[in-house]
Amino acid sequence: MPENMSISVNGHSRVPPGFRFHPTEEELLHYYLRKKVAYEKIDLDVIREVDLNKLEPWDIQETCRIGSTPQSDWYFFSHKDKKYPTGTRTNRATAAGFWKATGRDKLIYSNSRRIGMRKTLVFYRGRAPHGQKTDWIMHEYRLDDNTTDLKESNAIGETSQDEGWVVCRIFKKKNHHKTLDSPIQSSIMAEMETPLESPRDQGSLEQILHQMGRSCNQDIESMNKNNHPRFLKPTAITAISGSGFQDAFMKLPNLESPNASTPSCQANCYKSQPHFQMPTADYDSSIANSATFDFDMGLNDWATLDRIVVSHLQSQSEASKQLACFNDPSVKFSSPSDHEDLQLQQLQSLSSSSNKSYPPTQDYNNEITDLWSFTRSSMMSTSDGPLCHISNAGI
Amino acid sequence: MAGSSNVNLPPGFRFYPTDEELVVHFLRRKATLLPCHPDVIPDLDLYSFDPWELEGKALGEGNQWYYFSRRTQNRITNNGYWKVVGADEPINATKNGRKIGIKKCLVFYIGEAPGGSKTNWIMHEYRLPEGASSSSRSKTTGKAKIDYSKWVVCRVYEQSCGGNNDANTELSCLDEVFLSLDDLDEISLPN
Repeated sequence: MPENMSISVNGHSRVPPGFRFHPTEEELLHYYLRKKVAYEKIDLDVIREVDLNKLEPWDIQETCRIGSTPQSDWYFFSHKDKKYPTGTRTNRATAAGFWKATGRDKLIYSNSRRIGMRKTLVFYRGRAPHGQKTDWIMHEYRLDDNTTDLKESNAIGETSQDEGWVVCRIFKKKNHHKTLDSPIQSSIMAEMETPLESPRDQGSLEQILHQMGRSCNQDIESMNKNNHPRFLKPTAITAISGSGFQDAFMKLPNLESPNASTPSCQANCYKSQPHFQMPTADYDSSIANSATFDFDMGLNDWATLDRIVVSHLQSQSEASKQLACFNDPSVKFSSPSDHEDLQLQQLQSLSSSSNKSYPPTQDYNNEITDLWSFTRSSMMSTSDGPLCHISNAGI
Repeated sequence: MAGSSNVNLPPGFRFYPTDEELVVHFLRRKATLLPCHPDVIPDLDLYSFDPWELEGKALGEGNQWYYFSRRTQNRITNNGYWKVVGADEPINATKNGRKIGIKKCLVFYIGEAPGGSKTNWIMHEYRLPEGASSSSRSKTTGKAKIDYSKWVVCRVYEQSCGGNNDANTELSCLDEVFLSLDDLDEISLPN
């Protein structure tokens, strides 16, 4: 296998065994991207320049190999290519597919100072709007436009030209189905995973969401015939919809440039999307900043997510077609307060035996436990209460 | 000895060896008295150090520490002991699938066995398989049989409760939710 010449000397990799390129976001932005923008030479040329439009994700691996050690992620510089000469949108289409932004951009801080932004993108095969989602994920880092240091270093006036450089990291989303099924991977071993591997809860949630989506599709029809009383129509899309938060959340996948989405589409979203919110304080400060938002909502929101998962688990073991509404434009989740009292009652009567009534397979136990540890760590200030009704809520 | 700063690499390179690399490039060379390149993992005497004492003594990278030790069944430290959990796990070579090492998982308990209290400190202890490789080597080289079982290499880390280690480099749970919401949305033009 030919080694990356730039990082090897006489065919020998200059990266000693055991060492990997695993930069922090700060290193990527502050060291590598800033050097790139300033035309400074970068040691060993570890991060190469790539034309994103000409390379498929599976080809990038070969181009961006560092030394001979096995890699799970790959780094490159890319110059953003404008989709239209006059617009601000970036062309991220390749021969085989396209990169589509998901979620919201994340602010990157260094010593509590903003240094840049991170955009998350997913690769779809085919052409929009009929692309097929793949497991390839890209994190695209750009320097903050307001970085004062950058402006100083570029005082000559070339700033406008250099703004198009980004540093990217691509990786394949981890798929945990195999490890969950593996006999070696006992529940004890699951605890022993090295930090190199991704935390279990991510894979578990991914799996849950994946299966949720699947069962949703299957169950839409029966749901339509048999409208379950559990999911009440929301009383109204409450006052906060006016503040822009609702809008922000619902349109998250596209929100990168709010102007780009058509007003009519947004209006439809209010009617067609499930009423489904998450607490944002721990994750995305940009959302929290963009709207005044009552943080007490957090508990209720997690209860909503919780209920979705509960429904899903039940649909696995038995009937329960409720979940279908997750995908069904005509049905909405009840506003969380509708069921809160009910849940609390169930919690009190059942908290002692909650662990025993899970579906019997070990895989599910793992998933549940992991999901809870995730939720719990995210909630911090709230009690464990709303989580414990998992085993029986909705029966 | 903290960090891998003695290896002259640009920012962003870190000592994150795979199990196989740890066994092949470090433990095996140690056991056969060959010098390790780079020689970054120090010898620590048995298990006398509590895990939180490893800072500055073992090779530290991120929240992980690496060191060689002589193999022993007595894993008692100043303030506690390491207790084996789970079964040994074979380390197989990616090239030919041959078993090249054995990985043992241990958890640190504070206090005296068996009444200690469990901590979040985890150890992966790697050893070379007995018999197989040593016998083949002694046949081919004709040298005296090398005792491969003498050395182990250990990776110690404190398991974080939230699993936030990869927060920057993996998809967060929220990202996963967004991803799944994308499916509900009609796919729009890439922007």
